[in-house]
Amino acid sequence: MTRRILPFLLPLVFILVACNPVKPDVITAKEAWGRSSPASAQNAAFYFTLENAMGNDDQLVGAEVTICDRVELHETTIDGQGVMSMQHIKQIDVANGATVRFEPGGLHLMCLGLKEELKIGDQILIGLSFANSDDIQVEAEILEP
Amino acid sequence: MSTASSPNPKSRITISKRMLLSLALGGLFIGLFVGWLTIQAFSNRFGSPEFHGRVMQSLQPISDFTLTAHNGDPVQLQDFRDKIVLLYFGYTYCPDVCPATMAELSKAFDLLDPEEREQVQMLMVTVDPRRDTAEILGQYLGHFDPSFLGLTGSNEEIAAATMPFGIFYQKQEGTIESGYLVDHTASVSVLDKQGYLRLNYPFNTPGADIAADLSRLLEE
Repeated sequence: MTRRILPFLLPLVFILVACNPVKPDVITAKEAWGRSSPASAQNAAFYFTLENAMGNDDQLVGAEVTICDRVELHETTIDGQGVMSMQHIKQIDVANGATVRFEPGGLHLMCLGLKEELKIGDQILIGLSFANSDDIQVEAEILEP
Repeated sequence: MSTASSPNPKSRITISKRMLLSLALGGLFIGLFVGWLTIQAFSNRFGSPEFHGRVMQSLQPISDFTLTAHNGDPVQLQDFRDKIVLLYFGYTYCPDVCPATMAELSKAFDLLDPEEREQVQMLMVTVDPRRDTAEILGQYLGHFDPSFLGLTGSNEEIAAATMPFGIFYQKQEGTIESGYLVDHTASVSVLDKQGYLRLNYPFNTPGADIAADLSRLLEE
C-alpha cells in the first residue's frame, strides 16, 4: 500500500515544500551603515537603502535598535541659504518598485540615547516596521568616522 | 519608354536625399565638436575651476572673536594669523550633517602632507554651548582629528563670532522626544593666513576637493 502511494506522495510533499508560504522579504533593506562615534556621543545616525518589490505601496513607520533608548525617523533638509534643519517624521513612503535611500544630509534613523560607543567593524542590528508588511531586520556596519 | 525611365529619376532623388541627410548629420557633428572645443577653450581661459569651494572676498581681515578652546585656553581668531583657518559652526548633538562634515574635513587633513597640515587649523564653534561642554567638544573633535579645536563661549560671544560669516542658527524645540535640535548654516568657511575670508564650502563638499584648495592656498 505505502509503496504504491509513495510515488504520488513524495512529489506532493516536494510541491508543498516548494510552495511553503514562507514569505520572501518583500521589502528589503541593504547597505546599512553608521559612523563610529566619539565616546561622548549621545546619539547617532544610521543609513541604509530600502527596496520595495512586494507589489504594493508601503510606509516605514518605526525602527528599533537595542543600543538606543529611542529611534526616530528623521529627515535633514538644507535650504537655499545653506541652513540645515532636521525634522522628525512619522512615516516614510516606500512606494511599490521604489528605492528609498537613507544618506547623510537626507533621511536617516536618529538614535537617541546611545548606550554604547560605536566602534569600527561593529555590526548593529536594526529592526524596521512597516504599515502593511512584516518587520524586517538589517545589520548596519560601523565604518570609520 | 517613359515607364522604363521613370525609376531612374526617382532613385536619383533618393540618393540626393540620402546625401543631404548625411551631409546635414556630418555638419551637425562637426558643429557640435567645434562648439565643444570652443567651450573647453573658454572655460580653461576664463572659468578655470581654480578652487572647488565658493570664492569669497572680504575687504578686511575678519573681525576678531574671543572664545574658549576645549582645552580651556582663551582663543582669538588672530592667534592663527599665520595659518589657514577652517571654521565650522555646529554642535555635537547633531548626528547627521555635523559628523558628515567633520569626516570630510578629517579626510582633507589626511590628504595634506605634514608640512601643509601644520599650516592649517580647523576650528569648530558650537552653536549649542548649553550642552557642548569643553570636555564633550574635545572628545567629539578628537574622534575626527586630534588637531581639530572646539570653541565655546557665552551666548553673546558665540553670536558675535557668527556675525562676520553670515551664519544662522536657531534652537528648535519639541521636534524630538528628548532634548532639542539646532538649525544652523552647514557650510565651512576658509580664512587665509592674513585673516581674509577666501572660500566657503556647502554641505557635502568632498574632502579631496577641500585638500586640493588648501594646497593651492598654501602655495600663494
